[in-house]
Amino acid sequence: MTSIEVGARASDKRGFDKFAWFAIIAVVATYVRAIWFTPPEALQGFAQKIMYVHVPAAWVAFLAFGMTALAGAFWFFIRDPRVDRFAESSAEVGVIFTTVVLISGPIWAKPIWGTWWVWDARLTLTLFLWFLYVGYLVLRSAVHDREIRARYSAILGLLGALLIPFIHLSVYMFRTQHPMPVIANPAGFQMPPVMVRTFFLAFISFTILYVAFVRARYALATERDALDDAAMAGH
Amino acid sequence: MPDNANYYYAAYAVTVLFYGGYALSIALRRRALERRRRRQQADAGVGANAASGANTGAATR
Repeated sequence: MTSIEVGARASDKRGFDKFAWFAIIAVVATYVRAIWFTPPEALQGFAQKIMYVHVPAAWVAFLAFGMTALAGAFWFFIRDPRVDRFAESSAEVGVIFTTVVLISGPIWAKPIWGTWWVWDARLTLTLFLWFLYVGYLVLRSAVHDREIRARYSAILGLLGALLIPFIHLSVYMFRTQHPMPVIANPAGFQMPPVMVRTFFLAFISFTILYVAFVRARYALATERDALDDAAMAGH
Repeated sequence: MPDNANYYYAAYAVTVLFYGGYALSIALRRRALERRRRRQQADAGVGANAASGANTGAATR
């Protein structure tokens, strides 16, 4: 089987498949539940419902960059291009989710804080994280040698992920405008059960969406590499 | 309760736009790769035909 045929097969099997439809249904169910079946919070009003898209997006962004870092570390041991492709896919999806965090956050902040943005620790570090992984993607597109690209990316992916614990703990370490966690809080859930259920549904559905995006993006990377190989081999 | 539903509509619309846009970008890139694959396969076919033609010619002579 030629590289071109391998790429075609990867694209056919791992593109928008049944799992992607499952992810779409899960996300739609979350939106429906959040919009029509979850009451607004008394003090914040309807703006509080932004939480169901903002917080899960932040969780998925951390998961995505964490997986990129893990894959980068793993790559140093096995030097397998599949691991590098996974890191690339996860980082790109992570940038999308971080962008959603950085846009939905200010839209929530305006009615509640009275301002779109404050340069407090959590917001600023999240912006830095976004810049770092955008840099990661730019770096990947600028280096053509696969081995060198994978090595540089693995290092940057690992170093970038070091920001994640600081971002998570920033609300404890610094005086910030950003509120404390409402779920991962030592005092227990700080919400009524109906909101907690919607919140968990959102976490699960957006995590499924992450997996679907990474699968589709990984299939693209596999096909691209197969076509590059075929072109190099003189097809 | 404050009247701020417009912000929540805007946030939800933005998220749908981003996730949908990203899915679309993957679909478009996939289509571009399929076009590239067909082009490369066609080029490979032309190359193979030219090579076999040259061989045939050599054998005939």
